[in-house]
Amino acid sequence: MTEKQYLAALKQGIINLDFEAVKKTAKEAMEAGIDPSTAITEGMVPGMAVVGQKFESGEYFLSELVVAGEVMKEGVEVINPYIKATESTKPQKVKAVLASVEGDNHDLGKNIVGTLLGVQGFEVIDLGMDVPADRIVAAVKENNPVVLGLSALLTMTMPKMGEVIEALKAAGLRDKVKVIVGGTPVTGEFAESIGADHRAANALEGVQKCTEWAKAEERR
Amino acid sequence: MAEMTRYERIMTASRKNRADKLPFFHFWRHSQIGWAERECRNRGMGMCWVRPPYIQKMHDVEMTEKQVVDSGVNVLRRTYTTPVGSIWCDEKRARGTEQWHALRSWDDIAPWQTQRLIKGPEDYKVLKYMVENTEYIADYYPIEQAMDWLGDDGVVIDALPHSPMQMLMIDWIGSEGGRFYIHHAKYPDLVEELYQAVSKNRDAMYEIAAKSPAPVTACGDNVDGVLVNPRLFEKYFMPEYEKEAKLIHDQGKLMCVHMDGRIGNIKHLVAKTPIDIIEALHAPPMGDLPIGEALSLFKDKVIWTGYPGSVYTLGPEAVKKHALDLLRDVLPGDRLVFEVSTENIVSNENMRMLTSVLENATLPLTTEKIDEIERSLS
Repeated sequence: MTEKQYLAALKQGIINLDFEAVKKTAKEAMEAGIDPSTAITEGMVPGMAVVGQKFESGEYFLSELVVAGEVMKEGVEVINPYIKATESTKPQKVKAVLASVEGDNHDLGKNIVGTLLGVQGFEVIDLGMDVPADRIVAAVKENNPVVLGLSALLTMTMPKMGEVIEALKAAGLRDKVKVIVGGTPVTGEFAESIGADHRAANALEGVQKCTEWAKAEERR
Repeated sequence: MAEMTRYERIMTASRKNRADKLPFFHFWRHSQIGWAERECRNRGMGMCWVRPPYIQKMHDVEMTEKQVVDSGVNVLRRTYTTPVGSIWCDEKRARGTEQWHALRSWDDIAPWQTQRLIKGPEDYKVLKYMVENTEYIADYYPIEQAMDWLGDDGVVIDALPHSPMQMLMIDWIGSEGGRFYIHHAKYPDLVEELYQAVSKNRDAMYEIAAKSPAPVTACGDNVDGVLVNPRLFEKYFMPEYEKEAKLIHDQGKLMCVHMDGRIGNIKHLVAKTPIDIIEALHAPPMGDLPIGEALSLFKDKVIWTGYPGSVYTLGPEAVKKHALDLLRDVLPGDRLVFEVSTENIVSNENMRMLTSVLENATLPLTTEKIDEIERSLS
């Protein structure tokens, strides 16, 4: 197979949500000497972009988006051992820190945002679910992200988003990061009331806003 | 004509007839008991008890519980041991759990699982064994007791667990990290076999529920069109609802399903189901289907609308505005029942405001009547 064919096969494997095909092709591509970064950025990432378009158009649902993200993750795991040697030459990525706030054990929306941000070239630091404010603040301090994404599915946990923003202020970090909030009960009014920069109406719209912020940051 | 009781009001609307006033009620477990609750009930707020019509027994399954520390957090680990293997789950509990009722915390939060029963493909056969060895036995005492306590002050409904595929999605595999979708893609045969086993095992439970004295059976579930996409809904949910509805309708009872999420993308499929009551449907901003549109679309159904918790966070004035807007959206107000909350405990101020809007909502609703309610509150 030529490099072009390997890349096309990786892309199609992602679109088809085919775990085995992607892992097999990734292994073969590495053994054939294909550049690991190229396999990911020109093979898998374009596949994820197509999946994202299909999601946006309604052809694919959340389930397909999640599975495609997992297929890519398993493919990248095959490639990872080969990529480490060249890692230092990679351009630095724009970072995003994501978390479901303390008390909230829901992460589907957050994970979708994480997957889509990854496709857009962000390095995503996902802190998981039920994350206390101090841990979020520490992650912002450590990683210096452009975006902090906070998620809550319960009206009972929504106020924790405000507590995180207050904690960022107390740590002197509020002006250094854009805060985007999301989740079913989170309204624009609520986001404004706690001092967030934006409320994501849905995953796609939220990622679009993050991408705008990242571009503005790059122009600086 | 004598004023209807709260029970008559709820059930008249639920059977698609016109009540004297727009019915509204509070679920018992979401209701604080006190002066504001008394005031709101005096305004016509009914109560709703949700109680199980059965007990269940698992045969040849040993269950043990112990407290363990996982990643620095105290959790309760529950292990099930069967002749075909063992599975376990971890549960985190908020403050007050076991000190109040029904394993609820002081903030009315149920324990949540930090580790699910199904973690890998090897766990399916154990859970399938447990399912196949679960027996359901009718026990109508909790329902009869609540009906006796409540009288005409509200309604008692049967509580059933999530439907078979939602047991897998929400309870056993879990949606965290998209795990259910990943399992469904990687191990389709295992998911399908377990689903079929649960569905078969449930027949006895549905028959018991259908014959209980409660007038309405809540067929579990927590449907959201984001989590439950149209393909899943059509393949796994609709057939189960058909099966349940047949049994429930044969006994002259009504069937309701909890759908408090965004169901816009499955609304045309929901319309085709035999469900009588779409329970907890939330108006925007939490839901994505305005109640007026839902009533037009679901012409053979009744909506028990759940009041959006996100509006409560904005305070009584926002509650008043949202409630009045909602009333204007549903004229003349038939086939509709208001639930004060389906999610959490409502503050005295918010509950008083909502009930002060609803207490004078006589049917049929008109724009003039709603304007008058608004004037009386300004």
